[in-house]
Amino acid sequence: MTPFTRRVRLIAAVGALLMAVGIAMPAHAATYEVISGAGSTWSQNALDQWRRNVASNYGMTVNYDGQGSSAGRRTYIEGKIDFAVSEIPFQTRPEDNSAPEVPPRGYAYMPIVAGGTAFMYHLNIGGKRVSNLRLSGVTITKIFTGAITKWNDPAITADNPGLAMPDKAIVPVVRSDGSGSSAQFSLWMSKQHPDLWTAGMRSQFPTPANGKAQSGSSGVAGYVSQGYGEGAITYVEYSYALESGFPVAKVLNKADYYVEPTADSVAVALLRAQINTNSGSADYLTQILDGVYNSADPRTYPLSSYSYMIVPTQVGGVFTEKKGATLGAFASYMLCEGQQQAEDLGYSPLPMNLVLAGFDQIKRIPGAGAAGVDPNTCNNPTFKPGDSPSNNQLALTAAQPAACDKRGPNQCTTGTAGAPQETPVSGSGTGGAATNGTGGTGGAGAGAETAAPGAGAGAAVYDENGNLISDGGSAVAGSAVASPFTLDDDSWGWQQSAMLGAVLLLLAAVVLPPFLSPRLRRANAPGGQSTNGAPR
Amino acid sequence: MPIGAVVTDDRTLGDTTTTVILADEAPESRPPQEPRSLVPRPSRSDVVFRSVAFSAGGVTVAIMLAVGLFLSIRAGSAIQVAGLDFLFEQKWSPETGEFGIAAVLFGTIMIAVIAICISVPLALGTSLLISEVMSGRLKQWSITLVDLMAAVPSVVFGLWGVFFLQEGIIPVSRWISTYFGWIPFFAVTDQEGTALTDASAFTSSAFIAGIVVGLMVVPTQTSIMREAFMQAPAGEREAAYALGSTRWGMIGAVVLPFGRGGIIGGTMLGLGRALGETIAVYMIISPIFAINWQVLKTGGNSVSALIALRYGEASEFALSALMAAGLVLFLITLVINFAASSIVARSRSGAESEA
Repeated sequence: MTPFTRRVRLIAAVGALLMAVGIAMPAHAATYEVISGAGSTWSQNALDQWRRNVASNYGMTVNYDGQGSSAGRRTYIEGKIDFAVSEIPFQTRPEDNSAPEVPPRGYAYMPIVAGGTAFMYHLNIGGKRVSNLRLSGVTITKIFTGAITKWNDPAITADNPGLAMPDKAIVPVVRSDGSGSSAQFSLWMSKQHPDLWTAGMRSQFPTPANGKAQSGSSGVAGYVSQGYGEGAITYVEYSYALESGFPVAKVLNKADYYVEPTADSVAVALLRAQINTNSGSADYLTQILDGVYNSADPRTYPLSSYSYMIVPTQVGGVFTEKKGATLGAFASYMLCEGQQQAEDLGYSPLPMNLVLAGFDQIKRIPGAGAAGVDPNTCNNPTFKPGDSPSNNQLALTAAQPAACDKRGPNQCTTGTAGAPQETPVSGSGTGGAATNGTGGTGGAGAGAETAAPGAGAGAAVYDENGNLISDGGSAVAGSAVASPFTLDDDSWGWQQSAMLGAVLLLLAAVVLPPFLSPRLRRANAPGGQSTNGAPR
Repeated sequence: MPIGAVVTDDRTLGDTTTTVILADEAPESRPPQEPRSLVPRPSRSDVVFRSVAFSAGGVTVAIMLAVGLFLSIRAGSAIQVAGLDFLFEQKWSPETGEFGIAAVLFGTIMIAVIAICISVPLALGTSLLISEVMSGRLKQWSITLVDLMAAVPSVVFGLWGVFFLQEGIIPVSRWISTYFGWIPFFAVTDQEGTALTDASAFTSSAFIAGIVVGLMVVPTQTSIMREAFMQAPAGEREAAYALGSTRWGMIGAVVLPFGRGGIIGGTMLGLGRALGETIAVYMIISPIFAINWQVLKTGGNSVSALIALRYGEASEFALSALMAAGLVLFLITLVINFAASSIVARSRSGAESEA
């Protein structure tokens, strides 16, 4: 083979390869256009995972920019993106008299990711980490508005008969950046406790006077999990508590059970989610979560909600009908297959009623068509083919809460979230183990640990260095020692004087030689003016 | 000197002057000449270079002006509502129309001042060490290391500050507040004036943010100061040694006076950077909207962190308020950087003739 023919063959081969690629590419592009969206950072983990999945499985390119919900809605109104993701619907009457947010083309709200607002905390009793704290909704609201400032507040002790709560300050840690977690939490408070929470739904959470504000979910979770975070409580996604190895509070629901925000308990709660179908209302197609907050199902975690994807129902801006086909395919992937991963990503799978509601919205996307919106082929973990919203896989199999989780004198000792260790009973009542097992009637509260004789005795009290201060006695006496002690401001003792003297000496040793040495030298020099003592 | 010039010689004892005619022709025979133009006729490469340089400079200035203009235009609607109160109001609540930059600006300056207090001694010592004490390969290596430190992203500093430094600094803060609480700056008290000792009272403070920002500006300051110190003339150094000076005496008598411009300029540039530092402050601080004089106590704020925290969920009007805050910071940073660069420039041209 001459070099020439070899070269010709090479060129031919490359050409053929290019042609093959060239033929394959348009076929691909004809199926899926590149679509892009922006918005919520709360949903970003899930969206990023789904984008990777559809890119590798279907060759679909979806761009997403987590700028924040409000920025996402703004960009959507400007017509620069194909979809937006937000926890808050378009604000038709913004509080600050900004221009109302009115998208120039039709849109629909489609549920995409669900999640519960978990309360991660860091609390020690007698030097041992508490992992079974229980809180009622009112108490939570009061903690985060600064009305309850001590862990031994009567409201908290009433929720936790099994724990001798310490006299320690509560540090509520909130998000300093705008976030979907703040929006969902404040929405719940504004609906359930409007007398205590008057700020309405806020993605920018107002910091309580005794609180801290930190940026990002990792920021608040990081604060609580550090050593100095003892006494702190924050609202954060459940997955962050799991990762950092910290417990979350069980929250009281309408059935009088304290429930942990697991994926199942959130999904069960969202079975009661409704969508506003009154087209005359300003909140047309937005979520109505009153049913979720007040669900009578004992498995319900009340602080459950979901975020929307805002999808166009009219062509305009950068959005075309071809993109609509891609968006429809991506949306149905998210509602069905994508929900399989929701739990691993720290969210909860969308239950059947919301998936069906989402399907209705997909049908309205121009170009999406009705293909791929069949609940019977949908591989969602919460229902099987043939299920109905009232009778589905999730409702049948989700675990019932344990008897010791019911409001009453007993408190389960089993840990929660990232802290599975048991918490010994330090208060009154008998403990009990919540069986994290099958569904049905729920774990019988087998007293795993009976209260020590003289229940109600306070636990040992340790100071901040871990030294034992008092070993028990009454809860009142013990807790008084643990309170932050105050120092006299004007206690100037010999230590202070000695320290001040040391500091001055050190400064003198550093500063004086360079200044003094030239002067001394000059002074010692023969004929120096100052040594003569002669008057000038 | 043209041929035929008349040279006057004033080396006279009396009033007589000697006139020397150097020309070999009569001066009257020369035609009257236009004075030769002193403006050079530039070559083509000169023209190209000049225009490129001018346009590059012009574009830079234009971009700066455009940023300022953009900020002023976008800030307009917020400033119209707030008026002059914008500079004196402490709260930040654009939703209710009550917002101002007083507390935020105070926090920004507080953090920057703490940062400078920590960074300047460090930078001064490091740069003297590199320029005066070290020699050979070690010196080259440390110069590279310091420059490399300047390239560490600020988010790394922020993470380090939040997850490592904060835990470790709490005992230090507590110690300072316990023994020096009588100095109002170092007290950590609640509203009633009782001293706080809880760990949570010392976290997320301007002090911690200031330390992290201070460590971030150290490399910049070090390299500017080191450059100035290394320019101190060798002759004077040798002279100082020859007169029996110790190394410290030489540094005090020669290096520091020569490098004074570098010290001031480096400090000011560091200050400019500290004022604008965003992400580390964003991660550490727990934002409050009240003037907090107690540097060790939790809570502080800074303009750039405020913008970064609020912009994602800001409405149209709130965004305008953030732009107004940004404009104020922009102007302050501009003034500081101008001052710094003028000081640096003055010291470079004048250092040799001084002293």
